[in-house]
Amino acid sequence: MLVCARMPEALTFEKVLWGVSFFLNTGLLALLVYGKKHRVLPFFVLYLLLNFLQAIVLFGAYQAWGFFSREGIRIAWTTQGLVSLARTAAVAEICYLVLAKFRGIWRLAWRLFTAAATLVALNTMATSRGSWQFAILNLDRGLELLMATVIVLLFLFVRYYEVAVQPSIRMLATGFFLYSAFRVLDDSILERLWHTYGPLWNVLGTLTFLATLLLWSWALRQKQEQTTPELPLLPKDHYRSLSPAINVRLKNLNERLGNFWDAQGEKT
Amino acid sequence: MSLTFYFFLAIIGILFVLFVWSLQSPKRQAPSAGPPSAIPQDLQGSHISHLPQIRRALAPADFEFASKNIPREALRRMRRERRQVALAYLSALRAELDKLLRTARVIAALSPEVVAGQEVERALLTANFLWRYRMTRMSVWAGFTPLPQLNHLSDMLSAYSIHLEEAIRELGERAALVTEMVSSPDRRRIHPV
Repeated sequence: MLVCARMPEALTFEKVLWGVSFFLNTGLLALLVYGKKHRVLPFFVLYLLLNFLQAIVLFGAYQAWGFFSREGIRIAWTTQGLVSLARTAAVAEICYLVLAKFRGIWRLAWRLFTAAATLVALNTMATSRGSWQFAILNLDRGLELLMATVIVLLFLFVRYYEVAVQPSIRMLATGFFLYSAFRVLDDSILERLWHTYGPLWNVLGTLTFLATLLLWSWALRQKQEQTTPELPLLPKDHYRSLSPAINVRLKNLNERLGNFWDAQGEKT
Repeated sequence: MSLTFYFFLAIIGILFVLFVWSLQSPKRQAPSAGPPSAIPQDLQGSHISHLPQIRRALAPADFEFASKNIPREALRRMRRERRQVALAYLSALRAELDKLLRTARVIAALSPEVVAGQEVERALLTANFLWRYRMTRMSVWAGFTPLPQLNHLSDMLSAYSIHLEEAIRELGERAALVTEMVSSPDRRRIHPV
């Protein structure tokens, strides 16, 4: 849930949105626990639980110190860090659920995700500015960008290897992607217009979160298919012998085609 | 807005396009390949059996002969129809390549270990092939009727198919297992085709 560290108290609309998203988050959490889906999606449940707890802590903090107090802002950003980390774990969990059955491509994907994470982390460091507020903002944006990138890579893998994904998992991932993509843009505008964009940043962020919660609720109401823990795999030597041979054949194909075009060029 | 904003906007734009593209079902999954779990028996490719007719249909000598003996309107129609035949033939080649590549993907997906270099290399080689295939197709579409290209494409596919035939035979023992796997909706839709 979006931290409302800069939320002006007078904005009732924001409060209503915040309240609605809180209750929706609670309902979704209850739905997951009631349906015993916490066994399949433990990190997703943890993420929703942290969101729930964050809302309670923030409500108490804002009541005690006010929206613009130093303490309130610190508590807001600290809890937001925990929530963001839990969201990262939930995204990793979705990647695992989709690909882990295919041990070979899962290992390959995992390496690719790690490489992407490193690149995004470097990018975050490169675009960070001096103050701690911007550092946290950049960290937040970096994490969101990382999650969006990983989800896109996951679906590229899914498409390439034609892996079937349960509709509910697909929609959960879509929710994560849309939310993260929007947060990256939202954070980028906020970085530029820190003072004037603050209230709108909160409203748009809360609306995005609300839309994501609705998408997740709809996804999790669908009947989930049972998953198989492990697929019987081929012996290692099948891949080791066939894959290079296939690539050599493909090279030959391309060379022959290349030779043809060269010959055509000479003729003309 | 700052340059940073446009930078992130561009990244998100690219990610969004890739995301939408990756969510779409590939065209090769269109219901044309027969029973989903069937292993092709004739991996050397049915395209080879049709090649002589295609070559004859596109041969300049044949066209020259026809041009002397039939009216211009009929000649135009003949040319158009023959071009359609060539394009249909190329589409069949492409479908065959897709089928064979899918087999390679099944092997990768069901292997406990996948080498990144091999996968990247195959993706690049496939992209290269497809680019050349498109050039040939455009050439046919434009009316250049490049017979040598068709021959080469056919040769290449044959060589590729023959090698894979051996692989498929090895996988035969596991066909029943894979069939069972793909028939269950909660598992996956990779087919050993």
